[in-house]
Amino acid sequence: MNSVSAVFEAELLAPQGQAVPATLDAFLASMERRAFRMAELHLGNREDAMDAVQDAMLRLVKHYRSKPAEEWTPLFWGILRRRIVDLQRRRKVRSIVVGWLGGGHDDDGDELPVWEPADSGPDPLEKLHGEQSYADVAAAVRRLPQRQREAFTLRVLEGLDVAETAHAMGCSEGSVKTHLSRAMQHLREHLEAWR
Amino acid sequence: MNSSDKQLEQRARALYQEATQRIDPVTAGRLRAARRTALEAATHSTPHHRARVLLPVGALAAVALAALMIWQPAPRPQQDGKPQGVAAVEQENEYLPPGADKADPGLYQNLDFYSWLAANDGSQVKR
Repeated sequence: MNSVSAVFEAELLAPQGQAVPATLDAFLASMERRAFRMAELHLGNREDAMDAVQDAMLRLVKHYRSKPAEEWTPLFWGILRRRIVDLQRRRKVRSIVVGWLGGGHDDDGDELPVWEPADSGPDPLEKLHGEQSYADVAAAVRRLPQRQREAFTLRVLEGLDVAETAHAMGCSEGSVKTHLSRAMQHLREHLEAWR
Repeated sequence: MNSSDKQLEQRARALYQEATQRIDPVTAGRLRAARRTALEAATHSTPHHRARVLLPVGALAAVALAALMIWQPAPRPQQDGKPQGVAAVEQENEYLPPGADKADPGLYQNLDFYSWLAANDGSQVKR
């Protein structure tokens, strides 16, 4: 049994409700790696993902540490989501500025791809078969529209319930269901061969 | 939701969870450091918050004290180096008869004569 199937089995046997750690330190320790992977999924860049996670942790501790522990999970994902959106917007503005300065077209006048920061960090995803499968899922998830991607990552990958997902996304529960349904439709098409 | 969707969800979630455990040591160390920084910043933020609240209060108190000092009536200039109260009493005493210690001692020695003079002054004038 490989590691992926081990996690898969563990996930099936695990209880649905997970206890929230009592201290903020323990809570962040349980979230930091997942938050990094989540931010990386949305931003496609390790350094930006690190910045987003660091900022989200700082904001949660600064502004919401007095909140009950049960509220930390949706609050944290909500903060991280907004930080991700901010970084994506900033990246878009940078692309526009580069375009204005004449850097948006090559010598033949063709439009260059949207500016993306260089990602020179280690990428262990390409080393093993399971990692390749995750890379396929990640690529398919990145192709989803923003809100569908948020609904899929929070509801399916993170396992938040509909109400928590709606709180983190800042929308109604009905919208979460709609976005998730469309996301699943897109992923079925993109991951047909992978399944 | 059909069974193939359920299977897709479970597989994607399993891959995601496995990926979260497979973070390289450098990134994991940076995440731990980020967590410590966030928690330390929160503990240090409390005095800063207090300072942010106390600073305007202190400034307001200083302004109030300064205003009080400016509006307090200034003491009148003193006369001949004497305190203001003593000078006022002396000014009032100028209109009163002199005290026993300051009066001419001859006045007391011839007091009977002056009394007789005062009593008979009117009758002598009539003569």
